[in-house]
Amino acid sequence: MTRAWKTAALAAVIVVLVLMLLPYLWIFLTSFKTRLDALADIPVWAFAPTFDHYPKVFIDKGYLPLVWNSIIVATFSTVLSLVVGAPAAYVFARFDFRGKEDLFFFFLTTRMAPPISIVVPMFLLFTTLGITDKPIAVILAHTTFNLSLVVWMMRGFFDDIPRDIDEAAMMDGHSQFGTFLKILVPLAAPGLAATAVLCFILSWNEFLYAFILVAFEGRTLTVGIPGLITPHGTLWGQVAAVAVVATLPILVFTFIVQKHLVRGLTFGAVKG
Amino acid sequence: MTISFDQVSKVFADGTIALDNLRLEFNQGEFIVLLGPSGSGKTTACRILAGLEQATSGSVSIDGRDITKLPPRERNMSMVFQNYALYSHKTVFENIAYPLRVRKIATGQIDEKVREIAQLLQIDAFLNRRPSQLSGGQAQRVAVARALVWNPDICLMDEPLSNLDAILRLQTRTELKRLHGDLGHTFVFVTHDQEEAMTLGTRIAVLNEGKLVQFDTPKRVYHEPATRFVAEFIGRPAMNIIDGEIEAGIFHAGGFEISVPQQPDGPVAMGIRPEQIVLRDRATDDTIEFELDVIELVEPDTLLFVKNNEAALVVRVLREVGQLERGSVVHLELPRENRHFFEALNGRRRI
Repeated sequence: MTRAWKTAALAAVIVVLVLMLLPYLWIFLTSFKTRLDALADIPVWAFAPTFDHYPKVFIDKGYLPLVWNSIIVATFSTVLSLVVGAPAAYVFARFDFRGKEDLFFFFLTTRMAPPISIVVPMFLLFTTLGITDKPIAVILAHTTFNLSLVVWMMRGFFDDIPRDIDEAAMMDGHSQFGTFLKILVPLAAPGLAATAVLCFILSWNEFLYAFILVAFEGRTLTVGIPGLITPHGTLWGQVAAVAVVATLPILVFTFIVQKHLVRGLTFGAVKG
Repeated sequence: MTISFDQVSKVFADGTIALDNLRLEFNQGEFIVLLGPSGSGKTTACRILAGLEQATSGSVSIDGRDITKLPPRERNMSMVFQNYALYSHKTVFENIAYPLRVRKIATGQIDEKVREIAQLLQIDAFLNRRPSQLSGGQAQRVAVARALVWNPDICLMDEPLSNLDAILRLQTRTELKRLHGDLGHTFVFVTHDQEEAMTLGTRIAVLNEGKLVQFDTPKRVYHEPATRFVAEFIGRPAMNIIDGEIEAGIFHAGGFEISVPQQPDGPVAMGIRPEQIVLRDRATDDTIEFELDVIELVEPDTLLFVKNNEAALVVRVLREVGQLERGSVVHLELPRENRHFFEALNGRRRI
């Protein structure tokens, strides 16, 4: 690559980074601004920070359990999607049966309808089951979209593992399911990790299903934020404080699994 | 222990007949080679024996016990794959130990067995490496070790040497032969390489288009090929085949005639191996004149490509051919005892 290209590429990276990171900087700064500074017409960069918003929203307003709810919902919907989706993906990757590709495509169609169109029947269903306002409602709702993600992603990872490996495992004494559990899953671990991270992030950030399905006890962090839009105006400082806390776990989580994530997401591309 | 295929056929979903009525029986301790070109059904036969593929019809049995429907893990067989199929997330030691672990052998015993087989295959220095850190030859030895460590009834090998480079292939071939001599395991070895088949097999099953054409010792497959196909497939350079016709004890082909008193009349193909043709210095009653077309030196041998009107032959001579050059006339004798006759119609050997 020539020097000019390098400079241009670097400039492009910087532009993208600024576009992506500026909102986070804004959120971070706002969470320490007084209401006056936050609402100033001309953005204030140098200000006397206030540390009121965090205790106010998390302790006084009782938002702390929402963090817990978000963790529960994201964790369980991820685990549930993987436990159900990974074996399904393995079946799609390894077995031939009539209507296989149609069924596989069906998993994708579950993502084609806009969520708003199925959230009302889902609400009615969960009301009948008596599980609205409980994390399980959101877990199930999130599993509907995470499951298709797992099936589609994991099939690709299983496809990339040569069938010889399955056969070697069966000759070594495993049953078909033993082969899947003891050999294929460990081999697909980077892919599994990447998929898990995406599921977790999608569930953690999801708003619509959670907003409709839970109102009080089962609220997740994303659902908590609109509660700070009051008749007396939006409490920007507290909104920002919740947003910062909502971002942190994902940030930490992603950094931890980054190595696997990159390997997983490029699994097919760099094989061999 | 006797292993038998009884009228085993395999038809794939797309209608391809991979295996057509295979009957084959062999015994414990044999080194059986399934030999054939691609699409001959040799791999399918091996996979049906392993239980990785289900026969469409027919049965496979061991000592009369029908194992056709048994899953691989209940057959007491192991397999070496062409692409090694090692577990990349495990060390070499764990790869070899794996079949023992699955079979719940005590840890102390596993250690002992793995080290023993690793030493035998000279891979004991790599036990802590990952498969990705091995060369092709080393990886294949690990695969062989994994297949032999638990003393299976039969060790199946599906083209295990095809991915190795030429020199390594020869070395590994010799090692397999030694291993078979030392351990006395029963091997079923799939290959398309006739040389591998000839050197390794105690018996060779030659397959073509899903059918078994000959099942015999290497010597007999070589010296008494059952069909024209076997004759041409075994031996390099391939057997010379001349299409012609026998009339009143004389074989007529494009450019020459030979007396063949014992043979009945009819259209036939006559075969003779390049190394069994005798080059004479001068014409005799038994020689035929050919014109020398190309000389190839394949030290220590010399290949002569000769022609005579329509007939063309390859001759392999094990001596200096001196003053011969392109266009020279050579006198060749096709010794009677080395001639093979095949029916023109179906390629079967004439008695």
